[in-house]
Amino acid sequence: MTYADENRYPPSAPAGWPPPHLEPHGIRSGHETYGQSSWPESYGHDVPRYDSYGRQAPWDAAYAHGTHQYDDDLAALRSAYRVLRRISTLTALGSFVVYVVLSCYAPGLMGSKIIGELSPGMAWGVLQLVVTFAAVSWYGRSAQRSVDPLARAVRERAVPAGRNAGATR
Amino acid sequence: MTEFSSGAQAIVLVLFTTLVTVTLMMCVMAGPDRDDLANFYTGYLSLTPLRNGLAIAGDYISAATVLSTTGIIALTGYDGYVLAVSTALSLVLLMFLLAEPLRNAGRFTMGDVLARNMPGRAVRIAACLVTLSATLPFLVVQLSGAGSLLTFILNIPHAAGARTASIVIVGTLMIIYAAIGGMKGTALIQMIKIVLLIGTSVVVAALVLNRFDWSPGAVLRAAQHGSGAGPAYLQQGLQLGTSAGGRLDFVSFQITIILGVACLPHITMRLYSAQDVPAVRRSMSWAVGTVTTFCLLVIIMGTGAAALVGSQHITAADPHGRTSLLMLSQMLGGAPGSAGATMLYSAVAGMVFITLLSSVAGMTLAAASSLAHDLFAHAVRRGRAEPRTEMTVAAWTSVVVGIVAIGLATTVQNWDVGVLTTLAVCIGASAVAPALTYSLFWRGFTRTGLLATLYGGAAGALLLMVFSKAVSGTPSAVFPNADFDLFPMQTTGLVSIPFGYLAGWLGSLLDHRRRAADSREHRRLYEESEARLLAAAE
Repeated sequence: MTYADENRYPPSAPAGWPPPHLEPHGIRSGHETYGQSSWPESYGHDVPRYDSYGRQAPWDAAYAHGTHQYDDDLAALRSAYRVLRRISTLTALGSFVVYVVLSCYAPGLMGSKIIGELSPGMAWGVLQLVVTFAAVSWYGRSAQRSVDPLARAVRERAVPAGRNAGATR
Repeated sequence: MTEFSSGAQAIVLVLFTTLVTVTLMMCVMAGPDRDDLANFYTGYLSLTPLRNGLAIAGDYISAATVLSTTGIIALTGYDGYVLAVSTALSLVLLMFLLAEPLRNAGRFTMGDVLARNMPGRAVRIAACLVTLSATLPFLVVQLSGAGSLLTFILNIPHAAGARTASIVIVGTLMIIYAAIGGMKGTALIQMIKIVLLIGTSVVVAALVLNRFDWSPGAVLRAAQHGSGAGPAYLQQGLQLGTSAGGRLDFVSFQITIILGVACLPHITMRLYSAQDVPAVRRSMSWAVGTVTTFCLLVIIMGTGAAALVGSQHITAADPHGRTSLLMLSQMLGGAPGSAGATMLYSAVAGMVFITLLSSVAGMTLAAASSLAHDLFAHAVRRGRAEPRTEMTVAAWTSVVVGIVAIGLATTVQNWDVGVLTTLAVCIGASAVAPALTYSLFWRGFTRTGLLATLYGGAAGALLLMVFSKAVSGTPSAVFPNADFDLFPMQTTGLVSIPFGYLAGWLGSLLDHRRRAADSREHRRLYEESEARLLAAAE
């Protein structure tokens, strides 16, 4: 797993992290490197998370030279996440805000009876709960399609140059 | 309740004891190794998405949610329906907006997320204080409710001694769960609780519909009649009035709920124990599905309580209707003293009891983890604490948090402290939500901005709450006879949420002007860690 290009330009944040045993807690050190040898299957789990004290990194400057490809991948991932996040959040929040505002300021409309005792307001509320199931599954599928491949690409570019490549538990 | 037989109470007591014994045993067996921090805080990331999702849902649906939402629906109809929708959508919003980056950024506590680009003790201390201020009120309100709830369930005379004893018993159990079980132990209890909760709710909802021959129209007609409000039951306005101010207050309340509830630290803490990003997504799908199902059921149960029990009886037992679910189950089981009535009532009582226990245990654990991890390990020992020491400290802080909560709950048990739930949610929406969104998505966020958001948002919510109509000036307030309600609303969200966001923005701008080097450093750290935030890349 040697990529000449990337070894010349240690690419990024990952290189800036001290080896696990320098981490003050050392708690996860046993698990941190695990999973990288079987890389494509494992989805970045057991990856160490942040520790604010673990970042007195000597390789900071290296980031400035990050490869263009890596930056492009990251930018693509960032914008894919942003699009997904904006669409889903604004839809959920927007529909609810419209619902509450209409309930408050158009009570005649929301309280009118359409079928039996059912009013548009009640129907909207229950419908919003029912649609939630569909929205969640839509979100899962969209994320799988738009975000996950890009995230995989970013991880694959980040890992081979890492010092821990190939290390096992 | 007078017609209620002592046989039923015996069965309820036996059920409670069984539940406690079984859950305690599971907690001890699932408990973490003595010197493994990751195991204590996250349970080795070993939960499957389904289980983790159920645990998130279990933490999310607290006893306060179950009991007061049913009560609000029973008493106010339409306003309660909107509350059920906003409760479900809050978790949806957490899933769409925060869950995935939060999982990548966090490790054990909220302090880990916030301090990842801004190391330092001040940030850790602020994170810990805000965690405490968001979880402790919630904890106190539920514990103090435990007193009147248990005396109601067991039909003990409402003497102060009996209520204090109930609070102490529930509080002690909660401490044991949190201190011994850790994240994994409480997750198990949450799973048991959510299964029991959904199961019982399905039965109760089915019985309600069955009573009306499965005709929603008939239930709604009976509810309009039983509530005494007539057609107004199915229109907005019973909860806070139909004046312009009341309506604005209602909008404010709902916006606060949708932004605040899911951000509370004991819920976000569960996300860190997911294995990876797809796992957190699947966990959240399960959690949202479960919570949404429950919200649909609670609408049926609340309407059923209005239809079958009637609001006169409900408010006579509790002005906020928190006992309406129990009264409904007494009503549905058939003739008093019959086997069906006893079984149904015991099942609902057991469900309420386990819900109460698990939710207070989850909140104690969140508060104690923040104290041990943010305050002790990082602020006091500057990140150089031994894992073993931190574990011991975490167990002891659970005890301390629990004792403080028991003390506070006993003190306020005679007051109507439901407002503390609102306070916790307001702090969640005005301090936690802005801090998390800025910290995860804005590279120009700086340390001053973070501190301003956390302290400003929390203090703004707290101050406005003290001077709100929920604390004084109205008959349903905490101090109905006092009159210092300068802020004419029940919820502070409409003002304090924008204030929290504004404080973070202004604080960051100040840093950009005054300390350009620092803010460039923060931006560099953010960009450097972006791959990890977005892709979980090493």
